[in-house]
Amino acid sequence: MELVAALAINGLVWGLIIALIALGLSIIFGLLDIINLAHGDFFMVGTVLTWFVFSSTGNYWLAFLIVPLIGLVLGALVERAVIQPIRGTAALSIVATFGLSIIIQETVRATYGAAPKRILPPIEGTIPLFGIEYDIYRVFAAFVSIAAITGFFLFLHRTKLGTWMRAVRVDRETALAMGVPATNVYILTFALGFAMASFGGVVAAPITTVEFQTGIDVLPFCFMAVIIGGLGNLPGTVAAAVLLAVTEGIITSFADPTIARITSLCLMCLVLILRPHGLFQGATQ
Amino acid sequence: MKTLINSTMLAGLGIFLSGAPWILEALGVGFWLDILTEILIWSLFAASVNLLFGYTGLLSFGQALFFGLGMYGVAIGIAKLGLGFWPALGLGLILPTVMATFVGALAVRLTWHYFAIITLVFSQIFYFIALSSKPLTGGDDGTPFSMPPMFTLGEIEVSMTNFTTQYFFILLMVTLAFFLMHRLVRSPLGLALVAIRENDARAEMIGLNVYLLRLISFIAAGALAGLSGSLFALFGRYASATYMFYHVSGEGVVWTIIGGAGTILGPAVGTALVILVREELSNVWEHYQILVGLIVILTVIFAPRGLMGLWDNMLTRLDARRGGVATPVPEKTRNSNQKRKPKPRRKTVRSEVRT
Repeated sequence: MELVAALAINGLVWGLIIALIALGLSIIFGLLDIINLAHGDFFMVGTVLTWFVFSSTGNYWLAFLIVPLIGLVLGALVERAVIQPIRGTAALSIVATFGLSIIIQETVRATYGAAPKRILPPIEGTIPLFGIEYDIYRVFAAFVSIAAITGFFLFLHRTKLGTWMRAVRVDRETALAMGVPATNVYILTFALGFAMASFGGVVAAPITTVEFQTGIDVLPFCFMAVIIGGLGNLPGTVAAAVLLAVTEGIITSFADPTIARITSLCLMCLVLILRPHGLFQGATQ
Repeated sequence: MKTLINSTMLAGLGIFLSGAPWILEALGVGFWLDILTEILIWSLFAASVNLLFGYTGLLSFGQALFFGLGMYGVAIGIAKLGLGFWPALGLGLILPTVMATFVGALAVRLTWHYFAIITLVFSQIFYFIALSSKPLTGGDDGTPFSMPPMFTLGEIEVSMTNFTTQYFFILLMVTLAFFLMHRLVRSPLGLALVAIRENDARAEMIGLNVYLLRLISFIAAGALAGLSGSLFALFGRYASATYMFYHVSGEGVVWTIIGGAGTILGPAVGTALVILVREELSNVWEHYQILVGLIVILTVIFAPRGLMGLWDNMLTRLDARRGGVATPVPEKTRNSNQKRKPKPRRKTVRSEVRT
C-alpha cells in the first residue's frame, strides 16, 4: 500500500511537470498548426542548461530565472529560422521539426557529452506524506509546476499578449484586421512553448538524469497528454497529463513499467479512434 | 533531351548495380558492397513511406512497425520455429501485411496530424511489447540466427552466406519491388491514390471509395516495409526491437523528403545520399548528424520536392534554354507534393478530422 501511495504521488508530481511541458506543445499546435517533434528536446535543453548554470555558478535557484529566458530567446530564433519559412505546409512541418530534433540532440552531445549526469536537488530531506517519508524537493517541484501553469493561464486570459494569442488562434484574418501583429504572435507563441518546456527541464533536472536523450522519453508522454486532453484544449491537456502519470504510477506498483506505458498508449489509441477531439471535449470551448 | 539524360542515367545505374560486386572489387573497395546492399534495403523502406506520403498523401510515422515485424518474422521463423529460408521469408512478409491490415483499418479513418500520430502510437505500442516479451523476441539483445541455405542442387548449396549471392538476391528482390510499385502507381489504382492525395473531398465526389483505397495503399506500404525488414534481417542475421523505434520511421520519412516524395526513385536517392554521408563523415566527424538535420530542414524550406524535384527543374530549364521542343513544367504539377489543402478560415479541431 505504501508503495502504491509513493508511486501515485510520484506520478502526480511527474504529471504536473509533464503538464507544463505539454502545454507548450499544445499552444504550438493550437496556434501554429505544427506537430513539434523537437519538443522533448526543448525540455532536454532545459535540463542541460540547468546543469551548466548550476556547475558554473553553484547556485541552483539562478537556473529558475535564467533558463526560461534562454528558452524564450532560442524559441524565437528557431521560429524565425525554421518554422516561419514553412508555414502552411503542415505535413512538412513534422519533418522539419524532426530535423530540428536531430540537430539539437547532436549539438548537446557534442558540447555537453553523451554521459548522463545527475544533479542533486537544491532542497534535501523528506517530509511525512500519507504515511510515507516523501522527498521534499518533489513536493516543491509540484508546487512550482502548479504555480507556473496558473501563471500561464493568467497570462493567456488576463494580459494583452495572451488575448492576442487567443485571437490569432480563433481567426487569424480578423485578428490581423483588428491590428494584431500575427507574425510576432507566432514567434511569441513558439518562444513561450520553448520556454515552458525548458522551465519544465529546470524543475525536473534533479528528478531525472541529465543527458541528450531524455527528450525521447518525454516526447511521447507529452503527445499522449495533448491527444487525450484534446488537441489545442489547454485545460484538458493538464488534466490528461496528471491522469496519465498517476495511472502509470499506480500500474507500475504492481506491474512492469513497460506494461504501464503500453496501457497508456492503448488508452491514447482508443481516444484517437473513438473521441478524436479528446476525452474532455465540450468541457471547454 | 530530358528523357535522354534520364534514361542514360537509369541505364548507367542498372549496369553499375548488376556489376557492382566486380566493379567495387576492381576499384579496391570491396567492402562498399555491404553499404550498397544496405542502401538497397533501406531504399525499399523509404519507398513504403513514399507510397503512403508521396502518392496517397498520408504521412506515416510508424512504418518501423512493419519493418520490425518483417525482421521478427524471418528471425523467429528461423531461430524459434526452425523454418527454412523461403517459409521464413514468407512469414516475414505475411506478418507485417496482416498487421498493416489491422492497423490500417483503424488508422486510415484519420488524416493529417492524427494519422501521423496514430501510426506513431501503434508502432510504439508494439515496440514496447517486443521489448518486454523477452522469451520470444530477445528484447534489447535481439534474436540472432544462422542462415539456412536457399536451395540445394545435388552437391551445390546456394546460400546467402556467399556475399555475391546475398547481394544479387537482395538486388533482385528490391528491383522487383520497385518495378511492382512503378506499375502500381501508373495503374488506375495508383492514379486514384494520387487523386485522393490532391483532394480527398473531390475524389470522394467522383465516386472513389477513399477509405478502401487508402487502406489498400496502407497495406501495400506495410508489405513493402515488411519486405525490407525481412531482407534486413537476412542481411544482418538477426532481429532487434530497436528497429521498431519511431526514430527509424522518422528516418524513412527524412530520406523520402530529401530524395523527393511522389517520385519512384526519389526515396532511393535520398537514402543513398544520407547513408553515404553517414559512411563518409562518421569517421571524420562524430557529430555528422547535425549535418543530416540541416539538410532535412534546408530541403523542406528550399526544395520541398526534394532532390528529384531540383533535378527535374534543372533539366527542364536546360531544355528550355536549348529552345527545342521544350515543354515547361505545368504549374499544376510543380507543387503537387505540397499539400494544397484550402486553409480553413476557422481553425477548429473538427475540420482537421475527416472520417
